[in-house]
Amino acid sequence: MPENTVFWVLAALAVGGGVMVFRFDSMARATYALLLSLLCVGGMVILLGLDYLGVVIVLMMTIEMAIMAVFMVMYMMNPAGLMPMSMQHNKKGAAVVCTGVFLLMASGIVLAPWPPRAGTADDDPTKALGESLMGPQMLTMMTLGFALFATIVATVLLATHRGRYDRLGDDLRARRADDPVPGGVGR
Amino acid sequence: MPEAAPLWAALVLPVALCLAAVAAAAFDAVLGGDARRGGPGVLAAATAPVREGLRLLAQQRRTTPSADVALGRIGLGLVPVAAVLAAAVVPWGGVSVADPVVGIVWFNAMEVLAWAAVWLAGWGPNSALSLIGGYRFLAQGLAYELPHMLALTIAGLGAESLRVSEVVGAQQGLWFVVWMPAAFAVYLLSAPAMSFWGPFGHPLGRDVAGGAAAEYSGVDRLLLLGGRWLLLVATAAFSVPLFLGGGQGPLLPGWAWTLLKTAAVLAALIVVRRMLPVLRMERYMEFAWMVLVPLALLQALFVAIVVLNR
Amino acid sequence: MGLIGVLPRMTARRPPVLLVTLPGATRERLAVEAELRHRGWPSAAGPAAAAGLVVAGEQGDVQPPWLADVWKGVPRPKAYVSVRQADDAPRALDVLGRLLATGRQGDAPWPPSTGSPGGTRGRERQDREDGGHGPYRHPEAGGHQARHDQGDHMDHPGRQDHGERPGRQDHGGHRGGVVAGLPMAGRADDRDGLRLDRLHLPLGPVLPDWPAGLVLEVALQGDVVQSVTEHPPAAGVPGRCPFWSEPWLRAAAGEAVTRGTAERRRCASHLDSVGRLLAVAGWPRPAAEARRLRDRLLHGAATDELAPGVLRLTRRVAGSRTLRWLTVALGELPAGRAGELGVTGPALAADGDVHARLCVWLAEIERSLHGMDDTRAVTGGDGPRGRLDPDRPPSRVLLDALLPLLPGAEFACARLILASFDPDLDELVGTGHA
Repeated sequence: MPENTVFWVLAALAVGGGVMVFRFDSMARATYALLLSLLCVGGMVILLGLDYLGVVIVLMMTIEMAIMAVFMVMYMMNPAGLMPMSMQHNKKGAAVVCTGVFLLMASGIVLAPWPPRAGTADDDPTKALGESLMGPQMLTMMTLGFALFATIVATVLLATHRGRYDRLGDDLRARRADDPVPGGVGR
Repeated sequence: MPEAAPLWAALVLPVALCLAAVAAAAFDAVLGGDARRGGPGVLAAATAPVREGLRLLAQQRRTTPSADVALGRIGLGLVPVAAVLAAAVVPWGGVSVADPVVGIVWFNAMEVLAWAAVWLAGWGPNSALSLIGGYRFLAQGLAYELPHMLALTIAGLGAESLRVSEVVGAQQGLWFVVWMPAAFAVYLLSAPAMSFWGPFGHPLGRDVAGGAAAEYSGVDRLLLLGGRWLLLVATAAFSVPLFLGGGQGPLLPGWAWTLLKTAAVLAALIVVRRMLPVLRMERYMEFAWMVLVPLALLQALFVAIVVLNR
Repeated sequence: MGLIGVLPRMTARRPPVLLVTLPGATRERLAVEAELRHRGWPSAAGPAAAAGLVVAGEQGDVQPPWLADVWKGVPRPKAYVSVRQADDAPRALDVLGRLLATGRQGDAPWPPSTGSPGGTRGRERQDREDGGHGPYRHPEAGGHQARHDQGDHMDHPGRQDHGERPGRQDHGGHRGGVVAGLPMAGRADDRDGLRLDRLHLPLGPVLPDWPAGLVLEVALQGDVVQSVTEHPPAAGVPGRCPFWSEPWLRAAAGEAVTRGTAERRRCASHLDSVGRLLAVAGWPRPAAEARRLRDRLLHGAATDELAPGVLRLTRRVAGSRTLRWLTVALGELPAGRAGELGVTGPALAADGDVHARLCVWLAEIERSLHGMDDTRAVTGGDGPRGRLDPDRPPSRVLLDALLPLLPGAEFACARLILASFDPDLDELVGTGHA
């Protein structure tokens, strides 16, 4: 069964990548090991027949990890190529939390009464997913979307030390924003 | 509906893509040649990319101290691989190597791999200027990706499908470029941006001594510089099924039309490149988010209304 | 034989060349650039991209040690030639092409440095970092690390003012230290109030489109320049007149120089500066055109023959809205401030940003185009970069004025700002006032 082989290869790579995140002593390597792990998860989702979700995982995770690598290198000081650095902090606490969460989830998988399959899989799972999200779950998705968006805006507002009055003057009438590096539109 | 391509197509694709990239690079070299009066002839200019490729193949590979060789090489290799994988969903006439349900998203996901690739290539050699090149590409990615995704989405929206063959089918009679001009323009802007080439060549800019490519020679350099031509060809080719009606056209067979249209898009990009200096992302970013994104959203609104009333 | 023999010959036909200009060698640089363009040989952006290394100018008695590292950074097959006199350029490039075609290297310019940086101090040490720590390193070059370090400073306790401390540090603390003989980055506040990684990097002397001989030690956070200090320029060849201000200096020394000659030189000088600025801005085609016109001017082409081409170029560059969009509001130097600093010439007249200075150059190019047939004698000492004060050459003033503009700018912006002043280090290193 080629599908089985692919599944096991992806699974092994995903777990291996996850382990390597903590084994590598370089931030860039750890980030990209995590990316490898997530790409394999994306591949497994595709294997399950959920093409859209799988490809979107690949898409989003690549972008996220690329950006995360920059942030880590920028903030955390360690030029990872040079100085070996442990990726583990608070080892005991982390181990306890990990074991607890793993046991909880594993017991959930084993003990949950999984319902038998009702009906057949849709011909086009992407469409089915979209209809489900935009149909019965519309309200949830809209609320979620607004909550996420509000969080982003609020975080940026809290983090920035220059507000619009700094940029555009007290009456907000400045023609060009006063920025350390001028942008292309001037607002 | 398109027929499934035979298995050998998967083997032909990389070769065909490379040939197209060499042709595009040769065209670029010929156009560049006339700036130097008394410079090399047309033939010499046209063969320059091939000669340069051979030279790089025979050249010694450089290493730098404390380099992260593994990550750097992964990055270099990823550039051409991402280009070929992205090109796999481009239909040539009625045939494409793969035609998944989510072809458009697949294409986008593969080109995003170039984000990781160029940053890795810049990180690998452990050199300040090449890392700046890598950073620049991430900034560029953030600037182009959102309008670009919207442009892709709009084409999918117009066809009510993410399958590339259905997008082509939906353009029977009326190409998308006619009623989605803004999306097409945004797509054309992001094509060179994604392949970090031409006006968007900042990550490999001369002001940082070659940026992400600054420390690479030999095969490494060939992979990176050749890979970006592959990316450019792949993105230019993908604009044909998205906006230019794919292989549709009178008299000629579908693959010929696809080829012609791709060549036309590529030629336009190469010609326009000479009219623009390199765009710096701190300027372009604001333009992309303040102008291109709203523009693309308006275009999406228009297309959505048309689709709803169809 | 077969492929192995054919390949070098075929690929050596138009080898990419890295041109290194030593201080005071503008004339040689121009000769080599003209020859390269004539042959259609591309110019490499760095050692990795090059097959041939051409060094323009004299090294004097002390060979700059960074050159050895640059040479080592060029991948094989490679060849090296030196152009000591402008007239040698064609012959030198012939030799270079032959060396590459036969697969021979030519003599290495000088013995490679042995790479134990700790022993070198003072002037010599600075020279070492200048070159070796530019973008170009080589495995054996020893300690030539640029990403997150400040070079050889780990041996110099006096230079620990950037947050680094020698010795291995506790990992969890993420503090700097020395790893594999390479120092770690320190931390510093950045422009936006964050405390970020910061690295020290010497820029120059081997960077494309960079003023020959200039070395700036910059502190970078990401690609934002945090601070800039200038290394004292290396000594040039004594008794040489700075090329671009030569007519005025000769006139001041009492020689008979016509205004036409001076205006031709001014025009060529501005074309050179425009070409460099456009190259830094990433607009290769008009940059190449500016340089081609510059060379024709210097070869004495007639005014009416050149005028249409020059005007086409200046109008095109001045009329480019994209270029304007990309260069406005960068490196603003108001006339008032410029006057206080003693700036004269185009930078004072521009009264503004990078684009304003470019426009002043373009306007002066057009103006001096009309003055090239003037046979009256030169009066006054206003060279292409400003008043030629023997004690304080205009480029010195320009450098002092532009360096404070760089902190806070992004790398690309900083390079544009520098290129828009285009200081001519020949005025500093040569004996301009002798």
